[in-house]
Amino acid sequence: MIEESFMKALFHGVVAEELIFPFPSPSESERDDVRQMVDSVKRFCDSSVDSAAIDDAHEIPREVLDGLKELGLFGMVTPQAHGGLGLSTMAYARVMEEVSRHDASLAVTLGGHQSIGLRAILLFGTDEQKARLLPRLATGERVAAFALTEPSAGSDAAAIQTRAELSADGRFYVLNGSKIWITNGGFADVFTVFARTSRPEEGQKPRLTALVVERGPGVTSGPPEEKLGIRGSSTTSVYFDDVRVPVENVLGEPGRGFRVAMEVLNTGRLSLATGAVGACKRLVAMSAARAAERKAFGRSIAEFGLIKDKLAEMACQTWALESAAYLTAGLVDTGRLDYSLESATCKIVGSETLWRVVNDALQIAAGVGYMKEYPYERLLRDARINLIFEGTNEILRCFVALSGMASPGKELAEVVRAMREPIKGFGLLSEFAVRKARTALGRERLTRAHPLLSREAVLFEEYTVELVKAVDKVLRKHGKDIAEMQYTQRRVAEVAIDLYCLAACISRTTRAVELRGEEGARRELDLTTMFASAAGARMKANVRGFDRNDDELRKSIAARVVGDGGYPFDLV
Amino acid sequence: MKILVPLKRVADPDNANKIKIPAGGATIDTTGLEWKPNPFDEYALEAALRLTENGATPKTRGGEVIVVTFGPKECETTLRAALATGADRAIRVDAKDDELDGSIVAKALRAIVDKEKPDAVVMGKQAVDGDSNQIGQMLAQHLGWPQATFAATIEEEDGALLVGREVDGGVITLRVKLPALVTVDLRIVAPTSVYSKQTKRDFKYNDGVRFAALPAIMAAKKKPLAELKLAELVSDTALKVQYSRFEAPPSRKAGIKVKDVAELVTRLKNEAKVI
Ligand SMILES: Cc1cc2nc3c(=O)[nH]c(=O)nc-3n(C[C@H](O)[C@H](O)[C@H](O)COP(=O)(O)OP(=O)(O)OC[C@H]3O[C@@H](n4cnc5c(N)ncnc54)[C@H](O)[C@@H]3O)c2cc1C
Ligand SMILES: Cc1cc2nc3c(=O)[nH]c(=O)nc-3n(C[C@H](O)[C@H](O)[C@H](O)COP(=O)(O)OP(=O)(O)OC[C@H]3O[C@@H](n4cnc5c(N)ncnc54)[C@H](O)[C@@H]3O)c2cc1C
Repeated sequence: MIEESFMKALFHGVVAEELIFPFPSPSESERDDVRQMVDSVKRFCDSSVDSAAIDDAHEIPREVLDGLKELGLFGMVTPQAHGGLGLSTMAYARVMEEVSRHDASLAVTLGGHQSIGLRAILLFGTDEQKARLLPRLATGERVAAFALTEPSAGSDAAAIQTRAELSADGRFYVLNGSKIWITNGGFADVFTVFARTSRPEEGQKPRLTALVVERGPGVTSGPPEEKLGIRGSSTTSVYFDDVRVPVENVLGEPGRGFRVAMEVLNTGRLSLATGAVGACKRLVAMSAARAAERKAFGRSIAEFGLIKDKLAEMACQTWALESAAYLTAGLVDTGRLDYSLESATCKIVGSETLWRVVNDALQIAAGVGYMKEYPYERLLRDARINLIFEGTNEILRCFVALSGMASPGKELAEVVRAMREPIKGFGLLSEFAVRKARTALGRERLTRAHPLLSREAVLFEEYTVELVKAVDKVLRKHGKDIAEMQYTQRRVAEVAIDLYCLAACISRTTRAVELRGEEGARRELDLTTMFASAAGARMKANVRGFDRNDDELRKSIAARVVGDGGYPFDLV
Repeated sequence: MKILVPLKRVADPDNANKIKIPAGGATIDTTGLEWKPNPFDEYALEAALRLTENGATPKTRGGEVIVVTFGPKECETTLRAALATGADRAIRVDAKDDELDGSIVAKALRAIVDKEKPDAVVMGKQAVDGDSNQIGQMLAQHLGWPQATFAATIEEEDGALLVGREVDGGVITLRVKLPALVTVDLRIVAPTSVYSKQTKRDFKYNDGVRFAALPAIMAAKKKPLAELKLAELVSDTALKVQYSRFEAPPSRKAGIKVKDVAELVTRLKNEAKVI
């Protein structure tokens, strides 16, 4: 159902505000628990985690890993029935935010284990698989990993070469192949592995199957990779050599592994985003302190306009990110099953916000920021991975656009068909098409936004209409060819992403005003106003770009770059 | 050993500048303040937990720790946190903050001690909001128990506690027979400050107070938390201490920079008149 997803509905011009109002908030008792958990994480990290040493040693010390296990951090999302804590998405997000605030290597290790590593067991496992596998994963006695990527299959998961061949008696698969860059690969005991189970056929999409593979005969790990950042996390190749995997270890249905991978990555992307929130908050705090303390030209640099601008940007972007990420976490907790666009959006916004924030923080610190003696350069290195893994941001932008347009696309076909068969008339039209026909008369309203946010709400409404108009136009004009038009996809995605973040900010600020009044919510109001004006400018440019752009010029320049093998000029 | 630990929540001392005093100064405006357990009370809880375990195997509890607080329902957060770190059960005496003063709390605690009959009361030497530093002493008086204040070390012996108190000139060591009352100072959470009879003398604790593992935080919800009414514990609820007025400390004047030592000396002599 489209109405399950706020973003998918937006592509129809439908503002499903009941999904995002009121802004989700945990119950008082859950909030108490989470505060205490966050406090424990903070105390543990402050007393036992030396991130510079972890970065230098390229390894998380045994005692720290044991400490994380003792704290219960390996079992946060596993249900209580299987020995875990069964935290809600929102609670998990907040605890992981705290871990990420302290150390990205720890966060990636914990995320590799439960945001993706064991997630397929939670989502697709049978009761038997859960009872057998989860308890020891919940304590951290065993660690999980997610093994999808291969040398020739990165973004393109369909190119996977690893094969699982069903034995003659049908009781087990024989698994052969190699995976690369697997988080926790060096020491994980349980792998979610994606393998081909169909014969290779020319031009045919392979059928992938998800399997739980336990470390044992035939499973080996390569040496740890030397990396730019998150150096404490283990990243290795994992080799499978005639590994016998019982058929009881298939996750979901055989041949439906692609879907398993996508669902797992949906949750992974969201927790990546909330992790980014933690790192951003730390950097904003570091920069506020540094800017107040550092003197130049007889003043503290916090008094200079260009430094103020950075601080304001950092705070504003962090605010929008946090709002979008926690809105999404809240949606997941209310049982919305379709949040793939929202989580992809959060992943893009999270990784790019953190990258800008860390860059600004380093710039404010200037020379000091560049030196290894201070944490800025490490935080910069650690932040970079987020734009790459769990789906590159390029792939995710295309995904947001194409997946968002898919259903209006179908509907458009429906409308065209209805016009061709006038007897059946509008009865053929889905409820959404009807609602859209109505939106053609006037835009859908964000009625629940607080009146103090009416300008922001109008901006949101207007650009929702623009998005729908643009989508309608490109679909009519290009039909299926849109699949190859990435410049256009990017514009669609950018507008949708800005709309979602804006809606999240408006909903959250509305709640703040209702709770604390205008003056009490001054900070929230100002941040939302600032975000809206920046998002408005971006959306305006993107919408304009649908009609007027230099896409073709850029493509031909790029083609020449590839043809020339680089930059062709030299001045001497 | 059975130990009673009174806990108080205080406005987060790290955000003390958020405290507002409405015009007239009759009260303090506590809206929007973040609450934290009084640090000395957290140290007392840590000491009590150390006294009821073998430090090497802290998961096996060797005694009972009961925490008690006074205040509205929200104060249960403080109690739950204590339960999560290892206390066995909790009592909240329902009361509004302005119904309480040191004397009433001491009397109410006495009634609770009479009922619970702990072997010891271990408490913070003072709360960092009012800084009164008197409830422990008053309670010991009401109970007729020996007391050792400002404890920096505690060693459990048969039927007694050996308490080290840091004073200006050195350390005074007291042996108090149980039941006894101890108020603790901040050094009580150092690695070698507290030893139960079971804990080996070469064992070293982590510095500071322990924090709760996440499963313990969830499990704490199932531990007993009783509610009592103030009137059930004290008959005379009239306040002995009246606050007549609150004032914010005068904001500090900006400092000045001096060119050199000579100028410093001149100014100290002529302006500050301290030399
Ligand atoms: C530290 C680290 C940890 C990792 N952990 C794991 C793990 O635990 N499990 C796991 O399975 N994998 C893991 N990975 C792999 C990671 O998910 C992949 O690196 C990622 O999916 C990108 O694949 P690739 O590096 O092969 O890039 P490629 O797919 O080769 O992409 C190269 C470039 O082309 C772009 N591109 C590719 N296709 C398109 C397209 N259709 N349209 C537009 N642009 C395109 C990409 O965006 C990228 O910029 C990890 C990687 C790293 C670096
Ligand atoms: C690898 C490296 C090599 C170097 N090599 C040399 C060298 O060979 N010789 C040499 O002399 N120096 C060298 N430097 C020093 C370098 O030139 C300084 O780091 C640089 O000038 C910035 O000074 P700072 O780091 O003290 O930053 P600060 O001056 O403290 O600035 C901090 C931040 O405040 C901003 N800021 C400061 N004043 C204002 C203002 N008025 N308005 C707005 N914003 C303001 C800055 O742009 C910056 O973002 C080197 C530094 C590095 C990191």
